[in-house]
Amino acid sequence: MAIWNETVAVTAMTVKSLPQRIWVAIVTLIAIAIVVTVMMAVLAMAAGFDKTVAGAGGVDTAIIMRAGSQAELNSGLSSEQINLLAEAPGIVRVGNQPQASPELYVIVDGIKKSTGLSVNLPLRGMNPIGVELRKDVVISEGRMFETGKNELVVGRAARQQFAGFDPGSTVQFGKTTWQVVGIFEAGGSVFESELWADAKVVQSLYNRGNSYQSVRALLDGPDAIQKIEAYAGNDPRLNISVQTEADYFSQLSKPLVSFINGVGYPLAIVMALGALAGALNAMYTSVAARQREIVTLRAIGFGGFSTFVGIMVEALVLAFAGTLLGVMVTYIFFDGLTASTLGQTFTQIVFDFSVTPELVVQAGVLALAIGLIGGFFPALRAARLPVVDAFRNV
Amino acid sequence: MNNLKLIWKNAARKKLRLFLTVFSIFTAFLIYGVLGGFQSSLDEGIDIASGANRLVTVHKVSFIQPLPYSYVNKVRSMDGVADVTYAVWFGGYYQNPQQILAVFAVDPESYLRLYSELVIPEDARKTFFSDRRALLVGKKMADRFGWEKGQQVPIQSNIWTNQEGSQTWEFTVAGIFEANDPKIDTSYLLFPYEYLNEGRQFGQDSVGWLVVGTESPDINTQVADAIDLEFANASTQTKTDTEKAFNQAFIEQFGDIGLIVASVTGAAFFTILLIAGNTMMLAIRERTSEIAVLKTLGFGNGKIFTQVILESVLVTLLGAVPAMALAGLFLKGASAAMAGILPAMFINTGMLVKSAGIMLLLALVTGIIPAWKAMNINVVTALGRR
Repeated sequence: MAIWNETVAVTAMTVKSLPQRIWVAIVTLIAIAIVVTVMMAVLAMAAGFDKTVAGAGGVDTAIIMRAGSQAELNSGLSSEQINLLAEAPGIVRVGNQPQASPELYVIVDGIKKSTGLSVNLPLRGMNPIGVELRKDVVISEGRMFETGKNELVVGRAARQQFAGFDPGSTVQFGKTTWQVVGIFEAGGSVFESELWADAKVVQSLYNRGNSYQSVRALLDGPDAIQKIEAYAGNDPRLNISVQTEADYFSQLSKPLVSFINGVGYPLAIVMALGALAGALNAMYTSVAARQREIVTLRAIGFGGFSTFVGIMVEALVLAFAGTLLGVMVTYIFFDGLTASTLGQTFTQIVFDFSVTPELVVQAGVLALAIGLIGGFFPALRAARLPVVDAFRNV
Repeated sequence: MNNLKLIWKNAARKKLRLFLTVFSIFTAFLIYGVLGGFQSSLDEGIDIASGANRLVTVHKVSFIQPLPYSYVNKVRSMDGVADVTYAVWFGGYYQNPQQILAVFAVDPESYLRLYSELVIPEDARKTFFSDRRALLVGKKMADRFGWEKGQQVPIQSNIWTNQEGSQTWEFTVAGIFEANDPKIDTSYLLFPYEYLNEGRQFGQDSVGWLVVGTESPDINTQVADAIDLEFANASTQTKTDTEKAFNQAFIEQFGDIGLIVASVTGAAFFTILLIAGNTMMLAIRERTSEIAVLKTLGFGNGKIFTQVILESVLVTLLGAVPAMALAGLFLKGASAAMAGILPAMFINTGMLVKSAGIMLLLALVTGIIPAWKAMNINVVTALGRR
């Protein structure tokens, strides 16, 4: 019990005397806060991108493209193939109507508002069924495009990031003029970075004849993908690949996400090492500054253990406060921050930074490790200070 | 005791503290060197790789749309145009779909005329001009995949289907090319346009983009405008820009990600330096009474000032110089290991100058206040403080 009381007393004394060593404390705190902020900011970018792209796909929807094309942009499906696919098993039918949407995916030029630079934007051509299939899509302003007209509906994120997409305005792509008639929302997914228009109009603008690039189809069960594959395997005209939309989008988001993580984690570790060196220095300085106080305690009978715990607590309190500060800064400045970058399909993807609970835990663990190691060695030194020598040196 | 020895003795009086300070400076410059080197390599890479008199002409709606083949000869006959070549993006990948390669179908003779910075063995050049399945491999790609001259290489395309209905196209490595400047990226592959054009199932007689050589960089703008005007009323309109602007625009599309990483790490860099600087200042402040003793012994003000500054310089260099060296090695290794994904990376002269400037600034900022204080120490007060 004595050791408990001693420890509590020393710890209280340490924490209370912190303001006297305010600069040392601030340096440690800031070092830790910066590590936490940098790590979380970079990784929140990866998490946000992943959420936007990989989160866009459903497991009950298939995306069908030409075999080996990997992305809608590269794919091409003839009208014959589209008609064959409409007969495929595994696709939900309402009445006689297969719930399948043939679509086009092309690139148009836009201007990014924040930089004024020209960027590639995805333009998706689809028939009314395409909108029906995406159940989470709502028109938040204006109306849907009409078939046969040069009309666009613009994703919420695209309108926010790129210039000239307010409802009622007109846009020029090459020789054709388009009317923006509405804004749609799609649950924050990657679709909100797109422009949508009538498939037939896009076909004629891009000289695509009657061809499409992909088919989205509602699947009627867990084995539907196999059914469609088997059906296509029996018909040499159907040189296609089928995958769930969820698989397709997670494969699209993977390269960038692993690139950012590949930069983010090593960066965080190197920074943490640098900050650890700073924290160790600060804590040693702090022990040196309190040398007289520490040896006095030891001289009047306090044990080395309570001294050790006292210093450790100081380091951990600072680490905890640094984490808190870092997390707060990241939340305020980075959570929900909207950015856009070039995705796997050569088009802009708009996404929001996302500070996830896992990130907070990871950053907290790293900060705690800095606190523990940064406190341990100085605490050990304090606990071992030989009383007589220390008095002599003071 | 000479000056240098005294400075070193002072800096190293607390070995652990010196080590920790040097180490945190080391980490800061390591981060700066790697990320800054990456960024500046990208910029410089674009600069050197882009010919001063080369223009790129693409479809006005977007660069993925093809141009009719007839545009090649129309542009060639225009005023101010010295040469024209064309290329098509093959959408190639090797072995698995994730292993994407930059492969271009080009017109062999005019392409090599316009890209005269490429260094190609004579026999490889001959094969490239005569054999339509010839594949010219950039040095970095040859190193990455271990490809050798004469080897058969199947490359798949995620865009083009050949007459056999397959996505796989067979090539024979004709040779390996390098560039006359090691900073120019060579992580791509070239093969004759004819092979693609005769083999593909759709898109015959169209090209992806034109590369136009002007007679002089001074008339780039006029020629670019003239080309776009020429096709202004055609069904396919064009957009022409200098090669540099074209490449830059593409890189800049990654935009926000680079900017955010750069600003966040920039902040981190300076914070670590702040922390290290704080320790360095503290280390000198502790020695007030010793400096008073030196002064009593007859050390002049100027000498004391210089000594303290030099101590800061020494500590900074000890951390920063090895860090920049390691960053350089790391970049070299990374760009070799990830040829085709990352560009040629190196720490260029600009980066070296900048980092030297930051080192000097750090040393001065952390040294000058304590040095000033040390210089103005009043011997009586300092020694009497005890």
